[in-house]
Amino acid sequence: MVMTPAIAIRGLTKDFRVSGSSKRLRAVDDLSLEIGRNSIYGLLGPNGSGKSTTIKIALGLVQSSVGECEIFGIPSINPAARTNVGYLPEAPYFQRFLTGRELLKYFGSLSNVPKDKIQDRIDYLLNRVGLEDAGDRRVGGYSKGMLQRIGLAQALVGDPELLVLDEPTAGVDPVGAAEIASLILELKKEGKTVLLCSHLLSQVESDCDRVAIMGRGRLLMEGSVDTLTQKEDFSSMRIDQVSSELRDSIEHLAKEHGGVVSSPSRSLEELFLELAKKKEEE
Amino acid sequence: MSESAERFSWSASRVVTIGLNTFREAVRMKLFIAMTILAMCALASSFLFREFNFGSSELKFIADFGFGGMTVFGSALAVIVTAQLFYGEIEHRTALTLLAKPIHRSEFVLGKFFGAWATVACFIGMLTVCLVFALWFRETSILAEYPDEFEGGKRIVQYGEIVWFSVVQIFRIGILCSVVILFSTYATSSLFAMVMGVLVWIVGQLQHIAIEARGVVDSFILKTVYALASFALPNFHLFDVGEKLALGESLPSSVYFKLFAYALLYATFYLAVASASFNRREL
Repeated sequence: MVMTPAIAIRGLTKDFRVSGSSKRLRAVDDLSLEIGRNSIYGLLGPNGSGKSTTIKIALGLVQSSVGECEIFGIPSINPAARTNVGYLPEAPYFQRFLTGRELLKYFGSLSNVPKDKIQDRIDYLLNRVGLEDAGDRRVGGYSKGMLQRIGLAQALVGDPELLVLDEPTAGVDPVGAAEIASLILELKKEGKTVLLCSHLLSQVESDCDRVAIMGRGRLLMEGSVDTLTQKEDFSSMRIDQVSSELRDSIEHLAKEHGGVVSSPSRSLEELFLELAKKKEEE
Repeated sequence: MSESAERFSWSASRVVTIGLNTFREAVRMKLFIAMTILAMCALASSFLFREFNFGSSELKFIADFGFGGMTVFGSALAVIVTAQLFYGEIEHRTALTLLAKPIHRSEFVLGKFFGAWATVACFIGMLTVCLVFALWFRETSILAEYPDEFEGGKRIVQYGEIVWFSVVQIFRIGILCSVVILFSTYATSSLFAMVMGVLVWIVGQLQHIAIEARGVVDSFILKTVYALASFALPNFHLFDVGEKLALGESLPSSVYFKLFAYALLYATFYLAVASASFNRREL
């Protein structure tokens, strides 16, 4: 049986009206992509590339002008599509008057967590994101890093299959960022799908299975991290269990025939900057 | 796609959850506490007029003062608190996280409405308790001081009618809260929603003039404008029953029922339009 993808986007276009003018601003332009289940998918792009609008359409917060977006096969505009989704917005703002526990209880109730299980779920999540000692403090007094952590906990409160994380490590110290990265990998092991938007390209490169790079609303490149970082005019070959003499001979032979022997991959950061620069020049 | 998932049902429990959280937010807002203290101080200030030695007329004065405080402070609180509680979620971007949960936008609109309405209802309830206490306290003193002014030595304040007046004001506030919610659904600032709420409140208070003018003017266009205005906007003057209730007079229960039905009709209409408007809003 073919499983429906976690997110399926087909021909998605979003135009915003520019206030005080008849002009329209195209935020997303004919975007198509598919995010398979149980994977970590990175959505990259410079500011204004259409990432946030795409996420908002997927969450039903914004309606598309043209095209379709489905979450587990359900049109994203239907609230049912969000029954299995947890969302951490960029720079999350929460009800400042609530304590961490109250916030999780509130979002847990809205995520249909059974009443008899909600307290255990809150304890477990506060512990998981390292806020067990801050659960009874008001969210208004949380630091930026703590807000990200409680945001992650509220995204997980309904135990969703799909997590949409917009800059989950923004404002978090390096140790905290590493903990969040390891939590994301654990979530994948638990069978969850993660859509990750991040400017920390090294994190995306190490954690994501597939990556899409957007620029000015368009999809510039999409594929597995290994494929994308492979240079087109380079080819690599993996030969295991050979002696160092044989490896030297192969290298020598390649050089004799005018070949250049070097590391065949580039970093995701190099690729990202290259694409962003190219788009800028256009 | 499963059928149950496709037909995602509307849930009253989600409305209650959002409503309770909205109420909690309002109660923790300093504004609510400040308004409550201010209103109680205003009511307490009516005791200053004891120096004039009005006798039993003083009771009517205190009642009028209390009714006025309930209406004015209640309406002001309804406009400010509702705009803050609804538009604040958009302004502070907390609505993004909330509406990314599996909830219908109409559930959000209704939850916010009930939370704001319950807040102002609580405020009116507290003022009612204070008013009843103030009247009872003064009536007891005056009864002892001027027994001749009380026929057969009986109390003259009808405390039940004071409670009914408060209930009627809660109906009125329900309409006002729904109006502010409607404007908040497409507002670009909470100030806009508040200003529009105040305008509707003023126009609603003067509605009876438009209704009277409709019978006087000859122009068809003016008649139509007046007719549209008198149907689209609520007539808040209908809820000004304090004059009759202050001392002595009782109203038949059918009047309360009609006022309740009137408030329900208008609030339902405004909330339906607000839900439709908020459904189209991009966050």
